[in-house]
Amino acid sequence: MLRLFVFELYKLFRLRSVGLGLLAAFLLPFLWALAPGLKEVYGLVLASGWQVVSLSLLAGMEFLFPFLVVMAASESLGSEVSQGTLKSLLLHPLPRTRLILAKLLSALLYPFVLLGVSFLGSLLAGLPHGLGGFYGGTGLGAGGFAGVGFLSAQEALGQLLSAHLLAGIVLLPLAALALLYATVFLSTTASALAAVATLLLMRLLVAFPALSPFLLTTYLDLHLRPQAAGLGLSLLLIYTLGFAFLAALVFERKDL
Amino acid sequence: MEALRLEGLGKRYGRKPVLEGVSLAVRPGEVYALAGPNGSGKTTLIRLVTGLAFPTQGRALLLGEDVHKSPQARRHLGAVVEAPAAFYPYLTGRENLRMRAYLAGVKEEGRITEVLARLRLLAVADQKVGSYSLGQRQRLGLAAAILHRPRVLVLDEPTSGLDPEGVELVHGLLQELAREGVAVLLSTHHLQEVSAYAHKVGILGGGRLLDEVVLEGREVFRLEAHPLEGALALLKTLPQVASARMQGGAILFEGSPEVVLQALLKEGYRVQALGPQRFDLMAYYQERVKHA
Repeated sequence: MLRLFVFELYKLFRLRSVGLGLLAAFLLPFLWALAPGLKEVYGLVLASGWQVVSLSLLAGMEFLFPFLVVMAASESLGSEVSQGTLKSLLLHPLPRTRLILAKLLSALLYPFVLLGVSFLGSLLAGLPHGLGGFYGGTGLGAGGFAGVGFLSAQEALGQLLSAHLLAGIVLLPLAALALLYATVFLSTTASALAAVATLLLMRLLVAFPALSPFLLTTYLDLHLRPQAAGLGLSLLLIYTLGFAFLAALVFERKDL
Repeated sequence: MEALRLEGLGKRYGRKPVLEGVSLAVRPGEVYALAGPNGSGKTTLIRLVTGLAFPTQGRALLLGEDVHKSPQARRHLGAVVEAPAAFYPYLTGRENLRMRAYLAGVKEEGRITEVLARLRLLAVADQKVGSYSLGQRQRLGLAAAILHRPRVLVLDEPTSGLDPEGVELVHGLLQELAREGVAVLLSTHHLQEVSAYAHKVGILGGGRLLDEVVLEGREVFRLEAHPLEGALALLKTLPQVASARMQGGAILFEGSPEVVLQALLKEGYRVQALGPQRFDLMAYYQERVKHA
């Protein structure tokens, strides 16, 4: 199983969407650091390199990172279908559940790699602004980017690591959802579109206040609200497991 | 025990049946060729046999194990279900086979070199598959299929895209494997080529197995007699005649020529010619499909 997982991971990082996604995650922080409209959009005048890191996370999590994760999970199965290798894999005495599990695990690891690369790119892009303590905030703690006084480098790093970890967990159900749709449609594009459409639809359901606490989309900004992590993390985990279970169930009897 | 056995296998998408009640068996060492026009259900049947698709009726057994109930049944199976066979283009031929070997539980590295040599691919073994020609990929597919020494080999159009040398290589290999006891089921449009060594030919049409022709030990005779229609009717009543049909102003039959001759003369028919005839599988196939 470990070897299968490693192979799936290798294949995932060979995907075009993953390569482009990682490149974008690494390079975009350099763009944010030079963006002239930060004050108008985020009310931010860069005072520290740490703020470049949080800015990259906030900007990325709005749409780009969720989309990249959905694309990668969809393509991990869709590309195998389009190049015909999925059939070759299933001609062996390999239980389908084990294959989809290996794909799921590699897709679930991807958000953390993506965020890790973005973190690294942001640190490099933030270097010219300094990575020491500063007066202000990371945008993730009390007082937003204005902060509540002096923030040490250690505190800033702690806030950012915790926010990146939470953001990674937020992206897990999205990867599982995309993989579920990939097992249904056996197509990268159809699966990615279906996953995005599902998220958009869930956002509309916010008009039903009774449903709101249980919607996946309610917790897509959990990295900004660590106080909601109690229920949020449990629900995200339930969604991830639920989507993964359905994906395995669909794939088990899918005609290829 | 049959190496491969299909029992009333059927598949329908919604209300539309694609395959209905196909039953056949392939014994170890036997080559079974599936023929049929496009859309007759050959590829669907191959997908069902290999466990890639699920039947709506019937079952497929590999050495007695239901391929749809136990993935382990596929440990006996080697298959190429697409032409050309699909591989990861960014890996070399050898690396692709190494991955397949792992999935099939083959631990000897030497076996990979052995099958590459057998399919004459050693020269390109360490090149990326993306740079392979169609024929090379097709041969690599066959190498992957026989890597774990399967007891049942299922191939969809194994000679598609191959040059004459490659075609000969594949046919030679299949005959060799059959002699080693491997049961081979293959779909093909090239009936003349496979009729040289196939033991049985299944003719599919409209999703049904229209006919099963046993080629092994088959002796066909050609009879010219007058009146021809009456002679045909008489032959059909003889228990010593297995089959009789009209073809091009003559009757082709299987059975005892002595008994046939005696019966015809006794009934007063004029016999103009009677002799052995090489069985023309292609003509038989065309006629069978035409009347389906």
